[in-house]
Amino acid sequence: MTSRRSILALTLVFVLGIVPLLAQQADRVKTVGSRFMCMCNCNQVLTQCNHVGCYMSTAMLKELGEMVGRGNSDAIITAAFVKEYGTTVFAEPPKSGFSLIAWSMPFVYFIAGATLVIFVIRKWRSRPATVLQSAPGGIAVSADALDRARAQAARDTDD
Amino acid sequence: MDVFGSFALLLAFVCAVYALVGGIAAILTRHPLLIKSTRQAGMATCILIFLATFSLEYLFFSDNFASAYVVSHSNRDLSTFYKVAALWSGQEGSLLFWSFLLSIYVLSVLVVYRNKNGELMPYVGVVLAGVQIFFLALNNFVASPFKMLGNVSASGAVEPFVRMDGNGLNPLLQYPEMVIHPPNLYSGYTGFTIPFAFALAALLARYPGEKWIHLTRKWTMIAWCFQSCGILLGAHWAYAVLGWGGYWGWDPVENASLLPWLTGTAFLHSVMMQEKRGMMKVWNVWLVFTTFLLCILGTFLTRSGIVSSVHAFAQSSIGSWFVGFLCLIMVVCLTAYIKNRDYLKSENRLDSVVSRESSFLFNNLLFLVACIAVLSGTLFPVFSEWFTGNRISVGPPFFNKIMIPIGLALLFLTGVGPLLAWGRTSKESMKRNFGWPLLAGIVAAVVSFAVGYRNVFSTLCLFLCGFVGWTIFLEFYRGARVIAARSGMNLLFSAQELAMRNTRRYGGYVVHFGMVLIFIGLAGAAFNIDVQKTMNFGDSMKLGPYTLILQSADTKADKNYTAQRMIVEVLKDNQQSMLLYPEKRLFQGRDQSSGTMVAIYSTLREDLYVVFAGQDQDTNLPVVHAFLNPLVKWIWFGGVWVVLGTLLALVPSRKVSLVLAHSTEPAPATVVPALNPTVTLQEGHD
Repeated sequence: MTSRRSILALTLVFVLGIVPLLAQQADRVKTVGSRFMCMCNCNQVLTQCNHVGCYMSTAMLKELGEMVGRGNSDAIITAAFVKEYGTTVFAEPPKSGFSLIAWSMPFVYFIAGATLVIFVIRKWRSRPATVLQSAPGGIAVSADALDRARAQAARDTDD
Repeated sequence: MDVFGSFALLLAFVCAVYALVGGIAAILTRHPLLIKSTRQAGMATCILIFLATFSLEYLFFSDNFASAYVVSHSNRDLSTFYKVAALWSGQEGSLLFWSFLLSIYVLSVLVVYRNKNGELMPYVGVVLAGVQIFFLALNNFVASPFKMLGNVSASGAVEPFVRMDGNGLNPLLQYPEMVIHPPNLYSGYTGFTIPFAFALAALLARYPGEKWIHLTRKWTMIAWCFQSCGILLGAHWAYAVLGWGGYWGWDPVENASLLPWLTGTAFLHSVMMQEKRGMMKVWNVWLVFTTFLLCILGTFLTRSGIVSSVHAFAQSSIGSWFVGFLCLIMVVCLTAYIKNRDYLKSENRLDSVVSRESSFLFNNLLFLVACIAVLSGTLFPVFSEWFTGNRISVGPPFFNKIMIPIGLALLFLTGVGPLLAWGRTSKESMKRNFGWPLLAGIVAAVVSFAVGYRNVFSTLCLFLCGFVGWTIFLEFYRGARVIAARSGMNLLFSAQELAMRNTRRYGGYVVHFGMVLIFIGLAGAAFNIDVQKTMNFGDSMKLGPYTLILQSADTKADKNYTAQRMIVEVLKDNQQSMLLYPEKRLFQGRDQSSGTMVAIYSTLREDLYVVFAGQDQDTNLPVVHAFLNPLVKWIWFGGVWVVLGTLLALVPSRKVSLVLAHSTEPAPATVVPALNPTVTLQEGHD
């Protein structure tokens, strides 16, 4: 009876404790693994390398799993991978040092471009409207009427 | 035939040099015979390139294994269908193929415009000859496809020999799509040479009026259509063959094809500003120049080996030639611009920020930001190594984070732009035009949330798809309703009539509709799930509503390969649904290389994607990798609409004549008092 209860208790501990822990570790392997590239030159993220028996991703995932199992932090795991495989192991440039340039450039381009566009729009808006002079004997046209006519023409010929 | 092909290539080079030098002389002297002879030299160049290409293809079809190129890329068991594709499977042949496709364009331009645009065509001919000379120089002096196999004897003499069989074609290329993907993509790259030639020629010739823009726009649309097809076919090939479950990996070679597409798309939009308002002339000229430069840069990236890619050719010294050519083009373009920039002056005036002109400016801004972001991300590993000594990878996570917001912003502008009027948009107009589309967007977002697509970017994307889709529908509906009321036709025929009266506008809307469908497909990527399992016969795995049971395996022998095929039974909601046959193919040839054939069950809702990933190293049991990819089919469906829309836009619009009621003749023109404008009227356009 006692042994049955012990077995039951152990089973409960396993189901309620170990299984979720394993699942959590598997999730963490996936999350951390998605930050690295497979070094077999497939140009895929480590967790997405589709080469079964790939000599690199198999070893890298095994190593990653062991480090996650030992409870190593993300920073320690990252430092270990960089030490072993070099900076090319990163799936995206780190957000520090020289690599910040890669992240900041799109924003710099957008801000510079948007500034230029706004400057151009303002410049174009500040230019005076062209005045059409009527020929002798022709009909004088007011600016309001001309604006209304332009709006109507734009609506009619809109493309 | 190899001697004939070599000679044809060399003669083509000579003719191209004459077309260039003689063309410059013809421009300076305006001698009609010189103009004619250089045009004919240009045509002869094209025909000789055709002959050289057919010669190389003949070597493949005749299994001539004395040719080094044929040995490297073909074998006796390769089917005729793939012997066509073998032409462009290597560096040398793909350069010749580039020249071949460029020659089709050049010959078409020289023939179609032989009696038109007399002021402009000599300049166009010179520019085209210059580009052809570069690629012919590569094929003649650096990477000849007609090299023969030979052994160097003890005396130093080269003794030709013939192999019994070749190495075979790369297994990744032995797929029907790979027979059509490179021709489409190369047709896009080479096609952008034509608008470049017209733009540079117009600048050099100080060609009056906007006619060169009309000519440039049509050729740009043709090139853009091919580029779009090439990109989508490549994505589909990656999806169906590579077996990693995705269709776009932000590989440097993939990025290289996207760059000119982005600037080409920006040009197709901003050119409307020049046609309608005479604005953005300088910008448009430089967009065309940049598009062509990016085509050359793209092929440089693919061939030089400076960035690592699964698609790239082997690293070679050819990269330095491309760098030189790029520098030469930039110098020529800059010089032409500096000397003639006053010709590009225009009276730009904007009435309101809330106008179609502004939307085009922001549209161009976003396309250029996207282009520069992709380019800098692609080249960043090279720069990081130059400056820091460490090569830093820039993989899919970076590009996804940068490009998703830009893509969504562009999608937003796709809906907003057509709703704004030229010059100024009134508040009443905005309320009238934006109300229903916004509601449609909200409904789309709510529905997507309700069915389980709960991700910020995906929901936003689907909201914008609903918004844009409804604006496009309203454009057709409003116009068709007017025609239906006047003609008595039903709405469908009225919509058709509407489109035919302004093919460019409504073709553009059809393209936009295709892009909406593509974005719907992209929105599903956030919800991909996959399972990989080592399976014995009878084992099962669960994926979403599907249960996959590995029933058995068989082997299928083909002429050129042996396929090991898994037979996977699929149950949906525990009901038998289908059988899928993912396979691995082992190809004949010296290195016995293998390829994957994915089994895909595709519906509008999702793709069930099953890969036979290989054998488990420990147990030797098959490993099956299954993916559930929502909404992927919308991408291919959208691509079809993009192509259809472009073809519609290329068709000339139907002319409509005004006939008054109760009249048997068209009404006479009404005489109006003359005005003396102080501005130059814009040229008419279609």
